[in-house]
Amino acid sequence: MSATAAMKAPTRDLGLLRRRRAADMVATVLCFAATLVVLAALASILWTLVANGIGGLTLRTLTRVTAPAGGNGGLLNPLVGSVIQVALATLLGTPIGLLAGIYLAEYGTGSAVANAVRFVSDMLLSAPSILVGLFVYLVLVAPFHHFSGWAGVVALAILVVPIVVRTSEDMLRLVPLSMREAAAALGAPHWKVVLLVCVRAARRGMMTGVLLAVARISGETAPLLFTSLGNLNWSLSLNRSMASLPVTIYQYAGSPADDWVQLAWTAALLITVGVLLINIAARLGLRGGDR
Amino acid sequence: MDDRTAPRPLPGMSFQATATAGTSTSPGTARPMISTRNLDFHYGASQALKGISLDFPARQVTGLIGPSGCGKSTLLRVLNRMYDLYPGQRATGEVLLDGETIIGPHVDANRLRSRVGMVFQKPTPFPMSVESNVAFGIRLHERLGRADMAARIEDALRRVALWNEVKDRLRTSATSLSGGQQQRLCIARTIATRPEVILLDEPTSALDPISTARIEELLDELKQDFTIAIVTHNLQQAARCADRVAFFYMGELVEVDEASRLFTTPRQKRTQDYITGRFG
Amino acid sequence: MSNPGHIVTSYEQELNQLRGLMARMGGLVESQTAHAIQAILEHNPEAAQMAMEQDPEVDALEREVEARAIKMLALRAPMAQDLREIVSALKVTSDLERIGDYAANVAKRSLRLGTAGADISLGGLRNMGRLVQEGLRLAIDALGQNDKDKALDVWRSDKAVDEIYTAMFRELVTYMMEDPRNIGACTHLLFIAKNLERIGDHATNIAERVHYAVTGEMLPPARPRGGFTPEATP
Repeated sequence: MSATAAMKAPTRDLGLLRRRRAADMVATVLCFAATLVVLAALASILWTLVANGIGGLTLRTLTRVTAPAGGNGGLLNPLVGSVIQVALATLLGTPIGLLAGIYLAEYGTGSAVANAVRFVSDMLLSAPSILVGLFVYLVLVAPFHHFSGWAGVVALAILVVPIVVRTSEDMLRLVPLSMREAAAALGAPHWKVVLLVCVRAARRGMMTGVLLAVARISGETAPLLFTSLGNLNWSLSLNRSMASLPVTIYQYAGSPADDWVQLAWTAALLITVGVLLINIAARLGLRGGDR
Repeated sequence: MDDRTAPRPLPGMSFQATATAGTSTSPGTARPMISTRNLDFHYGASQALKGISLDFPARQVTGLIGPSGCGKSTLLRVLNRMYDLYPGQRATGEVLLDGETIIGPHVDANRLRSRVGMVFQKPTPFPMSVESNVAFGIRLHERLGRADMAARIEDALRRVALWNEVKDRLRTSATSLSGGQQQRLCIARTIATRPEVILLDEPTSALDPISTARIEELLDELKQDFTIAIVTHNLQQAARCADRVAFFYMGELVEVDEASRLFTTPRQKRTQDYITGRFG
Repeated sequence: MSNPGHIVTSYEQELNQLRGLMARMGGLVESQTAHAIQAILEHNPEAAQMAMEQDPEVDALEREVEARAIKMLALRAPMAQDLREIVSALKVTSDLERIGDYAANVAKRSLRLGTAGADISLGGLRNMGRLVQEGLRLAIDALGQNDKDKALDVWRSDKAVDEIYTAMFRELVTYMMEDPRNIGACTHLLFIAKNLERIGDHATNIAERVHYAVTGEMLPPARPRGGFTPEATP
């Protein structure tokens, strides 16, 4: 009887089949079109960035500090300032984010505290970054009556934390229950199950979260405007105002001086390439490291 | 019949054949390694096990069969207190491991789990090398020198007949092994900690027939040294591997008997209906 | 044994087909035996012919049952009652086939006998035939109805057949001693009696298998036997 049904089916459903094929075609075409739009936008941004920025990418730009318009200045101080602030903010924010993420995923399941922490962290994730800048201004700049690199670091670190919390919690939750049970069944106490097995299993994803955070704060301007402010002179002191690439772009891009505009393009290119390099390096480092 | 000879009770131990309707005291009902007496188990408000009294004779394979949700896996998870990991699950009654009670707040669950190992349905290699997987369990309970550890790892891998397949890639990731190899690695990891009992929760349901046959062969070897309890949905597997088989239905132990007897002449109608495929 | 059917319908169908084949084979063998006995008692060559013609069909049925039973063992991996029933069918089918052979042999001898032994009393044989037929009918009923009590009855009643056989043996030996011209006919009758006795034995075997299939318990190896007391043994 199944044989007769199978023979009947194609003749009866031919129209339906044709309609389905057409719908499939339309959906596929729409998907490709949407992808093309996004890729085109991305390519045009990158192209504009490279075309305008590459001209200023010279040894002079990388080795000289900023100077007044027409003064033959470079980007050394904002470049170094950005690297220092981003690096310190990552070092400060990552451990807090990871530990909070581990707490949320492994210890605080269902507890009121954990739910509150998760809620606040998610709020922070979507809060406008200028609010974070203002907050740090009120806490670390206004009371001391001067801007400082530290304030910039703290503002950026505050942005790092929620990103890392979210990704590390999500990644830990993806570790299958069976793996936790297998570790526990060998007689491992909970903290060893978490640290030696779960975190190990989730470490790729957690690292991706950190990189995401680095990429995000590398381009942040708003939190730095009220905190490290920017500094036109060479300074490595975190207690004084400190230069950074995003703030420099902000200041130069709108200026009438052609050489400043050129430097702004170059700074933007530097940030983009820098983030790209960090990503590639991290991926290479993680690959094959599954020991 | 001559298989009605009563088991010899050990001195100082009150031996009692499993007190369930229609069960026989069968030969080879050796000293029980694990005994449960009137064991109840609750998941929150629902009762998953009702008054289970069952012996797991030392150095024998005891098979647990029954339809899904009948409580067989739950029983397994009581025997190594796996249920401790989850709030709202509680066991009452008596469970004795080699004469000592294992239910109660004063019993260290992690130490218990070093004596009662467990292998799961899906292979669960940890995200580390083959070698580290085996070492993981050992390190939890013992401090061994490099040479001793290497010897112990080799021994465990040899016992599960995996050594020849992985000896050249001890340091590669365990996730690169095939499913059957991964499951044997998990068994190696379990026996490396030298437990007395091994619990297997449908260990071959995710494996192909050849890998399954390897594991079944392995069980035959392992029962020389370990007491084994295996939950399986595959009746043929229970028939092949188990010395004794217990049939569970709706949280009750319906019947327990030697495998050869339970599968040819079950005493209970419910057992008969289940193993012949007439449930409904 | 009232059971709900198998979840797998085709399995249940196969079991039913096997039972059907067994019933057909049982009926055939029963009628074959009846014809063979009728052939002797009534000197009826047509009945003898019938009994002999049925034999190939019984053989074919045996092969069919065997093939199906083996297939089910291989493909269904039967358990418990199903396993016992299928394994019993395998054994019972060969018992039935042997009964068929004996019946055919009795029929063949009845033709050879012709009217040669017309003056020899067939009273013992008549009794024996009736008992064997009764036993066989009961055994086949027990098989069809999975009735362990009927099976037990057959198993116990075989004793009577054995006793009649022993009595007939003495009677026929007496005839032969009286008049050597009777030796030919009496030898045929002796073989016929022996064949009927064997049919009784196989009916008892069938009863034993039915009892096992139904209860899972084997009957003790020593069954009630009659007849062969040392002085009666040739």
